Amino acid sequence: MGRYVARRLLQAVPLLFIISVILFVLMQSIGDPLATMSGRRPTRSADRERLKRQLGLDQPVLMQYVYWLVGNDWTSIDLDGDGVRETRGERKGVLRGDLGRSLKKRQPVLDLIGERLPNTLLLMGTYEMVVLVGAVALGIYSAVRQYSIFDHAVTGVSFVLYSMPIFFIALLSMYLLAVKPKQWGLPYFPTVGMFEPEAGKTVPQVIWHMVLPVLSLSLISLAGYSRYMRSSMLEVLSQDYIRTAKSKGLERRYVLFAHALKNASLPIVTLIGLDLPTLLGGAIVTERIFGWPGMGRLFFDSVSDADTPVVMAILMMVSVAVVVFQILTDVIYAWLDPRIRYE
Amino acid sequence: MKSKWHFVLWTVFLVAGLLVAACQPTPTVAPPTPTQAAVQPTQPPPQPTQPPPEPTQPPPQPTQPPARKVATFIWTQEFDTLSPLYTNMWFSTTTFELWQCAAWLFDDQNNPFPSLVTELPSVENGMISPDGKVITLKLRDDAVWSDGEPLTSEDFAFTYEMYVNPANTVASTYPYDQLEKLETPDPQTVVMTFKEPFAPWMIMWRGILPAHVLRPVFEAEGSLNEADWNKNPTVGCGPYVFAEWESGSFARFVANEKYWLGKPKIDEIFFRFVPDDASQIAALQAGDGDLGTFIAWSDIPTLEKAGVEVVPAFSMYNEGIYFYMHPEKGHPALQDLRVRKAIALATDRFSLCTDLLLGGTVPAATDWDQTPWNDPSLQPWPYDPDQAKALLDEAGWVDSNGDGVRDKDGVELVLDYGTTTREIRKDTQAVLQQQLAAVGIKVNLLNAEADLFFSGYGEGGPAARGEYDLFEYSTSPSQPPDPDTADWLCSEIPSDEYPDGSNWQANCDEELDALFAKQRTQVDLEQRMATFHQITKHIFENVYWLGLWQDPDTWAVGKRLKNVKISGATPLYSIMEWELVE
Repeated sequence: MGRYVARRLLQAVPLLFIISVILFVLMQSIGDPLATMSGRRPTRSADRERLKRQLGLDQPVLMQYVYWLVGNDWTSIDLDGDGVRETRGERKGVLRGDLGRSLKKRQPVLDLIGERLPNTLLLMGTYEMVVLVGAVALGIYSAVRQYSIFDHAVTGVSFVLYSMPIFFIALLSMYLLAVKPKQWGLPYFPTVGMFEPEAGKTVPQVIWHMVLPVLSLSLISLAGYSRYMRSSMLEVLSQDYIRTAKSKGLERRYVLFAHALKNASLPIVTLIGLDLPTLLGGAIVTERIFGWPGMGRLFFDSVSDADTPVVMAILMMVSVAVVVFQILTDVIYAWLDPRIRYE
Repeated sequence: MKSKWHFVLWTVFLVAGLLVAACQPTPTVAPPTPTQAAVQPTQPPPQPTQPPPEPTQPPPQPTQPPARKVATFIWTQEFDTLSPLYTNMWFSTTTFELWQCAAWLFDDQNNPFPSLVTELPSVENGMISPDGKVITLKLRDDAVWSDGEPLTSEDFAFTYEMYVNPANTVASTYPYDQLEKLETPDPQTVVMTFKEPFAPWMIMWRGILPAHVLRPVFEAEGSLNEADWNKNPTVGCGPYVFAEWESGSFARFVANEKYWLGKPKIDEIFFRFVPDDASQIAALQAGDGDLGTFIAWSDIPTLEKAGVEVVPAFSMYNEGIYFYMHPEKGHPALQDLRVRKAIALATDRFSLCTDLLLGGTVPAATDWDQTPWNDPSLQPWPYDPDQAKALLDEAGWVDSNGDGVRDKDGVELVLDYGTTTREIRKDTQAVLQQQLAAVGIKVNLLNAEADLFFSGYGEGGPAARGEYDLFEYSTSPSQPPDPDTADWLCSEIPSDEYPDGSNWQANCDEELDALFAKQRTQVDLEQRMATFHQITKHIFENVYWLGLWQDPDTWAVGKRLKNVKISGATPLYSIMEWELVE
């Protein structure tokens, strides 16, 4: 297993290099980072010329990529536009842990990500837990009570929720559980943000403000996950070994959770393995609507501003996470299903 | 067994419900801030060791400290940085009236009044030299930074040095690069000498850098690009002091105890970053925000129904259409004044304002509408499709092949009309397409995301590269409220040799060029205004730009905020007077 993991990690290096080249080239077409630097007006021509030079955007794409990858502290750059490269570069490059500086915010990208990642992990981690627990519970119950009223109800609601766009559910929940109850004088949830300014950023405040975003995210995913769980469980419950376990007189709950659930959870593990890396990227729509300061918003804003260093950093972070989580998924597979062996 | 499962399920729901209910916000005391130190209970709380009060005395009443007044402003975009050097972003510069200070500010009519200076310079008071090249500023002697250090001419000199130093990647060196030198003969005097007479001098000095804080940083690091102050400007000079900024979430500014004009009536301004427009409206409706910005016309009735007032502030922006007039690359029809005039007459901009914009604004005649710089005799072109048809006939554009589109010399009158993806613009495009089709002009509608639309010629911006015959956006002079702009200069037409040009309409009119050059050196207000009346009349009569509507900034003011006045140029100029009532 150790050799398998090491081999997969080594294979990931050229893969990530190719991904980075493709992404960097694609970045050149996401827009002009200088377009909005003058506020609400197009940037003044003299400033555009100067900023291109100072930010290194006047360099050929290949050279910009090299600077992004290995830095520019080995060469000199022309800051004042006199044609003489008089100033030593300061960037160290991604390979040495320098993700660059945001073109828009002028802060190190690492700092920006460091500020947003915990918020995203809090939101998305909670959401994933709610979905996982809810989907497993609903899926098992639906499978065990197949064709019952409960099963039909869960199936119907699942299809309705699964077909709804997230922005609709988010705005609907905001109006139904925040705006309208307040107007009617009823208890209500907060609309946006992580806390009320008068109360301060306390744990109860953050939990309270997380209810609507988590609810919106969960409703859609819960529908899909629970369907997977139900069908997987139904398939497993009809297997011979389950019949054998039952005929041995084992307790029903033991058969369900010790024998059936372990095998039925394989598809869910695959789904989670695919989902977890993307959680790092945040929930773009949900974070925007509820004003949650996470990675999704950082990514969206950075794409809008054509802020290449930030977009590249987030995409590469997600790429690395996909590779790592895929390896982890394979390892968990082997643990769940003894028939699987990696040589 | 079944009932057991039901029991477990209901128990889980009950516990979950209780947990959620337990998390409901309860009245809590705000975390202590520096400004709270002054607010103490008038009586100490009774101590257990103290003897019981005399029977004749009333029992001690615990005095609650007055509730802190915190106003929540909803910002749909987060600040990029707070340093005046590095930002031109509206959402950042608009905070300057809170925590920064300016030589002068502009009121809700965009009239200037002194702030850091004792009086506004003019030729009459001798503070502007007769040749217009030397301007002297006299500073107040009681202005101090929030850490108690005096604010002097040294801070002005340092600010100027930082703007023009190539080590700093500033957002714009303009207008400080117009200075030949800046002298500080004494702590209260700043003498600016320009290379040429410089009429737009009033766009300077909105945001001063604290030399005593930042000079050591510059000397140590060689630039201010990475100064912590850019994001944490804990020393400022406005009625509020920066307290905290959490990326993507919020920023707080608390009342400045050392502000030389006293203490503002609201204790804290809390900025909440909510990027989604629909969420902003919901938050304002729910009372989760006291101030909102850039409210869409279509949302105004909803907000007004919820008791939220919408206040327009004229920031010199007007929505309009530019005609691409490059002599070789442009459509031949647009070279003819009669065709441009026909387009103006064929478009019903009055109904557009009434129907699409719900009567919230009116058509603009020129890009300087609602300012004294506009020739007051100019009125928007009327809607007259019959006259439009007559003009097109006169210009030789007739439908010779019966396809419903006019043509001339084998060229069809088909125009590409581009704008951003903003909904109101797309709606406008659809309406104008229909109206122009009625007079025989076919229009293809094109849209690009804002960052692509506003990209320069070198970056493939479609407007800059002349890919649209007509292009629409909301525009203003370079630095409102000053009327100057470089967008009409022949030298600013972008090309392969000069990709950074800003005259995207590629319109070179030498008469206009000369008028713009002239106004830029006229420091006498009346003379400059007269020149601008010529400019606006020239652009209007030649239909170089077709105004669609005046585009004021729309602010939503919640029920709790009182005494709110907003300027277009320095929006929060009167923040000291704002009040928060429950």
